[in-house]
Amino acid sequence: MEKIEEASDAQLVTQIGRYSEVALAEVYRRHGGAVYGLARRILNNATEADDVTQEVFLRLWNVPDRFDPARGSLRSYLLNDSHGRAVDAVRSLSSRRAREVRDAQRTAGVEYDIQHHVWDLALADEVVRALDGLPPDERQAIELAYFQGHSYVKVAELLDQPEGTVKSRIRNGMRRMRAALVDAGIQGADR
Amino acid sequence: MMTHEEANELLASLALDAVDADEREAIELHVEECPRCRGELDALREVAGALGNVVEQVPEGQWSSISGRLYEGRDGDAAPPPRLLPLVGRDADRHELRDRRPAISRRAGVVFAAVTVAAAIAIAALVVSLSSANDQIAHLQGALAESSQSAVVAALETPGHKLVNLEGSNHADLAQFVLLPDGRGYLVKADMPALPTKDTYQLWGIIGGRPISIGIMGQAPGTVTFTIAGSPGPSDLAVTVEPAGGTPAPTTTPVAVGPV
Repeated sequence: MEKIEEASDAQLVTQIGRYSEVALAEVYRRHGGAVYGLARRILNNATEADDVTQEVFLRLWNVPDRFDPARGSLRSYLLNDSHGRAVDAVRSLSSRRAREVRDAQRTAGVEYDIQHHVWDLALADEVVRALDGLPPDERQAIELAYFQGHSYVKVAELLDQPEGTVKSRIRNGMRRMRAALVDAGIQGADR
Repeated sequence: MMTHEEANELLASLALDAVDADEREAIELHVEECPRCRGELDALREVAGALGNVVEQVPEGQWSSISGRLYEGRDGDAAPPPRLLPLVGRDADRHELRDRRPAISRRAGVVFAAVTVAAAIAIAALVVSLSSANDQIAHLQGALAESSQSAVVAALETPGHKLVNLEGSNHADLAQFVLLPDGRGYLVKADMPALPTKDTYQLWGIIGGRPISIGIMGQAPGTVTFTIAGSPGPSDLAVTVEPAGGTPAPTTTPVAVGPV
């Protein structure tokens, strides 16, 4: 049997299906920082990001078969779970926290926060390039949705644009991003 | 029911978690039925994953928190799948995660006492891992005990399982194991006296006439889980009393033996 650090992500998930805690620990070692990093960026709160990270790995432990290696990388699967949970948390914040967020947004301005988020993210060069290559309105819609956890309806409200327009911007922008990343040789975020 | 066009238009928003719960459900229903949308959604989720691929130092103690919650909320009636300890456990013991191995394992003091077949024995590789509950794991949590018990129950209900009864010199039933066709095995029951701390029970598989260590059972066997991979399988199981920590070859005559 090969060493666990040499096992593929898919093999590790198979082992997790057999209740291998060591395999889960290895998945955590590989991807825990990314799962936590994304949750923290979305939530801007270390404690809540810690909670999200725990839930992501506990879900992988409890229902490992939800991950299908044929449908994408484990890193992306975990990040999408982390993002979804972080967004849920953002949207269900207490009124106090929500008010703080709204106040902060009013103070700093949406555009400033977006730039702050994106530059702080230290994305891979190719991802930054792909994002930079988007028409500004598409990029703005994607960033507001992804990095600030807004629904497209909310993004439309923030940008004072029709919902249909925002849907299209997100769709076109994501397709462009996909093409750019494929061209750059980035199929996913797998190891 | 959402049309293909409606769903397709929202795939990118779904990949960004930018839809509400009702829309999500409707899109996912469509995606289940539409391979084209499923493929596109998968690709868009990869893009979202790339966007969010930011690595940060995790908080200290986070892994301990996760590992401490692995078995929470699991009740004894909802039998989990049989536990199968990792075949790679020995390698894992050596790798860099050693200092933060999962808490349950650490609490349980799980002993991976695996012995590979000597090179001189021309049989397929035998990979064995075993965990045992002994006095070193007296603080084993109830959740794990319930889980293991559920695994035994599940094993006994698995088609093709074999029961192996081990008898002592006076033909007394000392232990019963259940073996599954895929090599997993569990101690069903044992009636063996507790040993002094300097000793341990050790389980052996007799393969090609030679005893091969399956693992250490501890001073007072309660929960024992193991996996035997490779062929031929053992013709018999045997238990000896050995110095604590076990030995690569039996140093005493078996206290219990039974045919597989």
